[in-house]
Amino acid sequence: MPYALVSGGSKGIGYAIATALAKRKYNLILIARSEEDLKDAKTKLETAYPVHVEILPFDLSKGDSAAKIGAWCAERDLPLKMICNVTGIGGSADFLSTSLTDSLYMLRLNTEPAISLIFHLLPQLKKNQPSFILNVSSMAGFAPISIKNIYSATKSAVIFFSYSLRNQLKKDDISVSCLCPGPVFTKPSIEKETIDKLGWFGKQMAVTPEKLGEIAVDKTFRKAMIIVPGFLAKTMSVLLRTLPKRLISLIYYKLTPH
Amino acid sequence: MKRISLFVAVVLSVVSAFPQSGMIEERHYSHGTAYALVAGGSKGIGYAIAEALAKRGYNLILIARHMDSLISAKNKLEFDYHVRVEILSYDLSLNESATDIAKWCMDRNIPLKMLCNVAGFGGSRDYLSLPLDSLRYMINLNVGSAMALTLTLLPLLEKNAPSFILNVGSMAGFAPIPVKNLYSATKSAVVFFSYSLSYQLKDKNISVSVLCPGPVFTKPEIIEDTKKKLGWFGTLMAVPPEKVGEIAVRETLDHKLVIVPGTVSKITAFLIRILPRQMIVNIYGKAGDKK
Repeated sequence: MPYALVSGGSKGIGYAIATALAKRKYNLILIARSEEDLKDAKTKLETAYPVHVEILPFDLSKGDSAAKIGAWCAERDLPLKMICNVTGIGGSADFLSTSLTDSLYMLRLNTEPAISLIFHLLPQLKKNQPSFILNVSSMAGFAPISIKNIYSATKSAVIFFSYSLRNQLKKDDISVSCLCPGPVFTKPSIEKETIDKLGWFGKQMAVTPEKLGEIAVDKTFRKAMIIVPGFLAKTMSVLLRTLPKRLISLIYYKLTPH
Repeated sequence: MKRISLFVAVVLSVVSAFPQSGMIEERHYSHGTAYALVAGGSKGIGYAIAEALAKRGYNLILIARHMDSLISAKNKLEFDYHVRVEILSYDLSLNESATDIAKWCMDRNIPLKMLCNVAGFGGSRDYLSLPLDSLRYMINLNVGSAMALTLTLLPLLEKNAPSFILNVGSMAGFAPIPVKNLYSATKSAVVFFSYSLSYQLKDKNISVSVLCPGPVFTKPEIIEDTKKKLGWFGTLMAVPPEKVGEIAVRETLDHKLVIVPGTVSKITAFLIRILPRQMIVNIYGKAGDKK
């Protein structure tokens, strides 16, 4: 049975993706900081599905984590077919409303783990081709959201990285996809923030983590480049991607309190 | 005319905003002329921007890693224009550099009117052909340093408002270039950062611009790489550094958000921004395969 590695796989979107993969009989390697959360996820997934779940507690903001994970996989020669880069942070504190240290941490955590995990696991993926890479970005990566300045900028970088990587790995038969969801209610705080800021529309656009994980995995296997789950979010994303950035960022700015 | 009168107004407001007492090194910094800080200002586009600012009477603070290139930039600029040039040698990929630089400026109560974030790293090798440490350095320098200098120098820019921030993105920040994978991704982040920042700082009367040039022939390698990959079109699109500096400074002072120097580059940039991304990536991908 093939293996899929999910960074940030113990909770939220990462866990939903892991579940959708377990349903499709993928063994899993889950990476997260908290060993406790990882154990919970492992127990739930192994009880519900006939799969084997490996858990590796690592802080992916640390420079050498990805190299260690790469070595761990290489030693066991696991048939790795897929990497899902879900690790990332966001939230209502961003540039000018948080410290420089926090902003720089966001820059690093939203870009580096994907870059270094793929770098170190590429030999495994090449060996087990056709294989798949799924990077998690956001609808915030389509146009600049001033109140989420660095988040939006890093998510745009992830989209760019995914496009380029897909082109770079085409000849190796490794397909690269990028998940760009609108609001996903993984935590009560996100639900509240979305409804506060976008009201009824935000609620309509939101999708459940389960649905998101299903769509993400299904579309990744079908080699879609940009994946936007939910009909309304997809419609919105077409507008965000085709209208001038300046207009969209102005609308975002007008919609948010300042 | 508008520009001249704006500049006069800027100079006057700085003069009147500066009391003569309580300042460190009063003799050096209190003559009221505005300062501009150029990160990566010793060579290439940064030097061209510094020169365009010196022409307009701005005193300069240049930041770069190598002291010798800073010294030669200082000598040239002070000889050609009657401005003061301060030079500080820092590696801007290190997070603490910005904090130290900001402290240096605050201690001297520099009348800082403009911050130009030019420091950046890129080249013909990128993701999958560069070691991870160089890629991390690229992210820190291309995005982190602009964030850090902006945040730490914001109090000074606010004090001397109306003031200006000029970030250097690239046309590579408009659509992904596979062969320059992370360079392109970091430049897209700089473009996004600049858009967002321009709204965030509107109320503070700080204008934000982002320079997105096509090819600029600052080094022989760049000329060679551009000709190899883009052929005659690349040469046609290329703009000399002096012209890029001049246009960048002029349009920044005119409060323009996105600055693309050169007519051919401007038209190309327009197409890159409106055509479907996948199509642009495929075109770039084919051009990048040329060896």
